[in-house]
Amino acid sequence: MLSLSVNGQSHALDVPDDMPLLWVLRDVIGLTGTKFGCGVAQCGACTVHLDGQPVRSCVLPVGAIGNRTITTIEAIGATPAGQKIQQAWLEVDVVQCGYCQSGQIMSAAALLQRTPNPSDADIDAAMSGNICRCGTYVRIRAAIKQAATGTPEILQTLVSAPQGAAP
Amino acid sequence: MIRLLIAIVLVVLLGAGAYVFLNRADTSDGTAPALAGAPVSSDVLARGEYLAKAADCTACHTVPGSGNAFAGGVPFKLPFGTIYSSNITADEANGIGSWSDDEFVRAVRNGVRNDGQHLYPAFPYTSYTQLSRSDVLAIKAYLFSLPKIAQANHENQLSFPFNQRWAMGFWNAVFFKSQRFQPDPGQTPQWNSGKYLAVALAHCDECHTPRNFAFAMKHGDELAGQELQGWRAYNITSDPVHGIGAWSDSDISNYLSRGHADGRGTAAGPMAEAVENSLRYLNPTDTAALVAYLRSVPARTGDAPVTVDAAAAPALASNNAAPGGDSANANDPGMKLFEGACASCHQWNGKGQQTPYASLLGTRGVNDVHGTNITQVILHGTDLRSLGANIFMPEFGDAYSDTEVAQLSNYVIGHFGNKQGTVTPDDVARRRKQL
Repeated sequence: MLSLSVNGQSHALDVPDDMPLLWVLRDVIGLTGTKFGCGVAQCGACTVHLDGQPVRSCVLPVGAIGNRTITTIEAIGATPAGQKIQQAWLEVDVVQCGYCQSGQIMSAAALLQRTPNPSDADIDAAMSGNICRCGTYVRIRAAIKQAATGTPEILQTLVSAPQGAAP
Repeated sequence: MIRLLIAIVLVVLLGAGAYVFLNRADTSDGTAPALAGAPVSSDVLARGEYLAKAADCTACHTVPGSGNAFAGGVPFKLPFGTIYSSNITADEANGIGSWSDDEFVRAVRNGVRNDGQHLYPAFPYTSYTQLSRSDVLAIKAYLFSLPKIAQANHENQLSFPFNQRWAMGFWNAVFFKSQRFQPDPGQTPQWNSGKYLAVALAHCDECHTPRNFAFAMKHGDELAGQELQGWRAYNITSDPVHGIGAWSDSDISNYLSRGHADGRGTAAGPMAEAVENSLRYLNPTDTAALVAYLRSVPARTGDAPVTVDAAAAPALASNNAAPGGDSANANDPGMKLFEGACASCHQWNGKGQQTPYASLLGTRGVNDVHGTNITQVILHGTDLRSLGANIFMPEFGDAYSDTEVAQLSNYVIGHFGNKQGTVTPDDVARRRKQL
């Protein structure tokens, strides 16, 4: 029996030690927001947080986690950085097909948590391991900056009052 | 004319005499020092299983993942061709089911098959010759208790003259001495057990001791490290700079049983296999004995010595998420590759993200300017199953070109070893073909 703390909840699990965390999250606990992409830590789709650090859950055996806490895309909106990132993601409408986006958001939230005002180089270093087949990289960069500064970076798709509307 | 004939006959007789003399087999049974994991009082099959694991028979005689335990067929690519391991199950037609005790003991300790043909020293009879008869027969009893597998042996592919088995008789005459383990009464029982494990059962020397022009171990250079089958078996003498003299006892025992020692390194390639198939099963008392023996091996520098910089400036100037202190500019292709493919698990400060097994700082791999083992790991990935850990890294050989792997390797050596790497695309192409 293994005990995992996921999104603030403790789970007692009967799984083999070498099962990747991603399998446990999706198939055993039922949290399917975290996606399977490549299975070899190369695409970033499966990113979750372990004590606030982004990790690739597809190559992380659950036996190696110990009592570190896990946060997934389902709960990242409850953290200040995650909340800002999600809001910016909506405002800029980053998502196209969406498959990689839970991983992108997890990596971006971790970046914002440790570097509240990231430069282009910081964003490159933090986000290079997350691949997007639709090529939404420009909007990802803009949304991260917008989440950091609160100022609109590019064309906004979600605003409280339409810009340029007749007064 | 008669004199010439007499001279020729004399030379032939002297040669034959020398051949026979030098090939004489030590016929004594030999005694083994006590091993905690295989007490003499225990059941012979349990002893045999423990000894077979300590001798790592599986590594060579079982194709990984095949499930055909001890059925042979594992290829060994050597400079002069490819040798395949043989079926050592009790199957009569393909294995060794019809071998007598004496035949088995002779094969293991003197390298001669039941049909009188010489074995190649890819089979480490050069080390196993020190085993006691009782230990060898316990291993035989264990092998014979397992399922017989009717798998035919694979023909060796060796070039002339290496395909002439009889020629090994001359090699043996020069380089092999049949002799049992001689305990050193001046040392502790623990040290003697450790030496028996190291030199006879676990045959550490076969990979870690440099070989001469004829591929025989250079006994004056014991455990000083060498490159074999495209991997570097590191210097494991007590040399504090180039060997493991600076490692603590627990560093060494953790490395042997868990495949990792913090700040020292993680076993990969053939050493990961040795940990997975053999060393992790050692009784802790026996592991401690092995450590005690290794500690006593005289310090040697060895060829191509590796000096570890455990505080490499570029890695120390980085944090877990961002690089710093690199002499390479931000568009260095090796750095770009590391950023996209490696940093998410290994981290810029080399501490390892998901697991300490992924830490790079302080390891010999990243401090070897030839990048021998890191290129192998990049090309072929790793898979380590040890005591308490199942660690895996994907292979990147298909994803990246020789040039890219060389750039990445040199970046890693610069960033984590603070040295100028010398890996060329040609080196990578060569290592790609190995393993």
